[in-house]
Amino acid sequence: MFDEIDPRNPIPLYDQIAARIRLAVASGDLAEGDALPSVRQLAARLRINPATVVQAYRALEREGFVEMRQGSGTYVRSVSTDRRRQTREDQAARLARDLLTEAARLGIAGTEVARALQREMGARAQ
Amino acid sequence: MSYAIETQELQYRAGRTFELGPLNLHVPAGAIYGFLGPNGSGKTTTIRLCLGLLRAERGGVRVLGHDVPSQAPAMFARVGYVPERSHLYPNLTVREALALHGAFHRRWDHQAAAELLGTFQLQGDTRIGRLSKGENGKLLMLLALAQRPDLLVLDEPTDGLDPVVRRDVLMALIDFVSESGATVFISSHLVHELERICDWVGVMDRGRLVAEVPMHSFKNGIKRLRVRNAPAQAGDPPFVLLARERGDGASGTEVWVVRGWQATMRQYFEGIGAVLQDVVDLDLEEGFVELLRTARVPRGS
Repeated sequence: MFDEIDPRNPIPLYDQIAARIRLAVASGDLAEGDALPSVRQLAARLRINPATVVQAYRALEREGFVEMRQGSGTYVRSVSTDRRRQTREDQAARLARDLLTEAARLGIAGTEVARALQREMGARAQ
Repeated sequence: MSYAIETQELQYRAGRTFELGPLNLHVPAGAIYGFLGPNGSGKTTTIRLCLGLLRAERGGVRVLGHDVPSQAPAMFARVGYVPERSHLYPNLTVREALALHGAFHRRWDHQAAAELLGTFQLQGDTRIGRLSKGENGKLLMLLALAQRPDLLVLDEPTDGLDPVVRRDVLMALIDFVSESGATVFISSHLVHELERICDWVGVMDRGRLVAEVPMHSFKNGIKRLRVRNAPAQAGDPPFVLLARERGDGASGTEVWVVRGWQATMRQYFEGIGAVLQDVVDLDLEEGFVELLRTARVPRGS
């Protein structure tokens, strides 16, 4: 689940981790009551600062995605269907923005990208 | 803020050519502090001064609240040190080295040492002189961790080791830090590794500390801007202009390296009749290279 965490990406690491977990909840990969890895486990596995993991978990707790239980661990909370859909939409919008920014950098117009996207989707549907 | 390592106007000289300082270093307690700099910039010298292994010409050092060098023994009881070059006796076996080090440290954790021996797949009866470079690196880290220090000082602990060994060593380090909250002061050339784990960065160049900032502000602060039609006199920009160079694209395109960039500063370019085409984020390595390059070249040349 955390394979695509990239320290060279300008998005802060804690944000990348939080986004990954948010999406896992939104897509149903993580269900209510599931335990997240401990701070120690995840920090060691990703070889990152434990404080970064804590920062990610705190952000998720503020947003209501998880609950940190003292001395026990961090658990996924119940998240409404609407909220899950909204999270997926936000992520899709972010991907689209990144794609358009990258295209503009290469001198490709938005309409060309949209057409290419339609074609690719058609190719996949077949 | 309390500091695990603090130097005041620290100065040192070696021969006629190498001068260090005056250096004011501040390593916050609980931080994982990455100490960067090109070869010969004075990183190892600074570390040795901080640990009282070299005598400063002027200035002061405090480590974990102990004055160095006068209180160095009390300080050393709480500091785990991995030196740049191995200082272990080649004729001892791994087990004997553990016993020797354990005897010197009151807080030595026999159980942790035994566990790490297993994690690192080291054999107790191997002579140190016969260890591979990777095994030697793992043993040095084991010795530093098993003394359960409040501060770890690591001088290029993973440089020159293969990726598998580096991963093992870093995982053990992070595991210890998660559990203990110890401060880590780590020098390395492996910038991407530091980018993952550090929350503070200090950059040395030619015996001076040219930057000391939290990692996130280092990474966000330095940008490369692609600018078109900028007038020769740029007026008074709201950011620090480190360099201004001709771009490799169409004529009239320039690359500006800036510090302290914020998105709201786009307006500045409209004001001077220029077009800001692109803002390129720099990772730690690129930011580090740009910082050194622009620190050395006078502005605008």
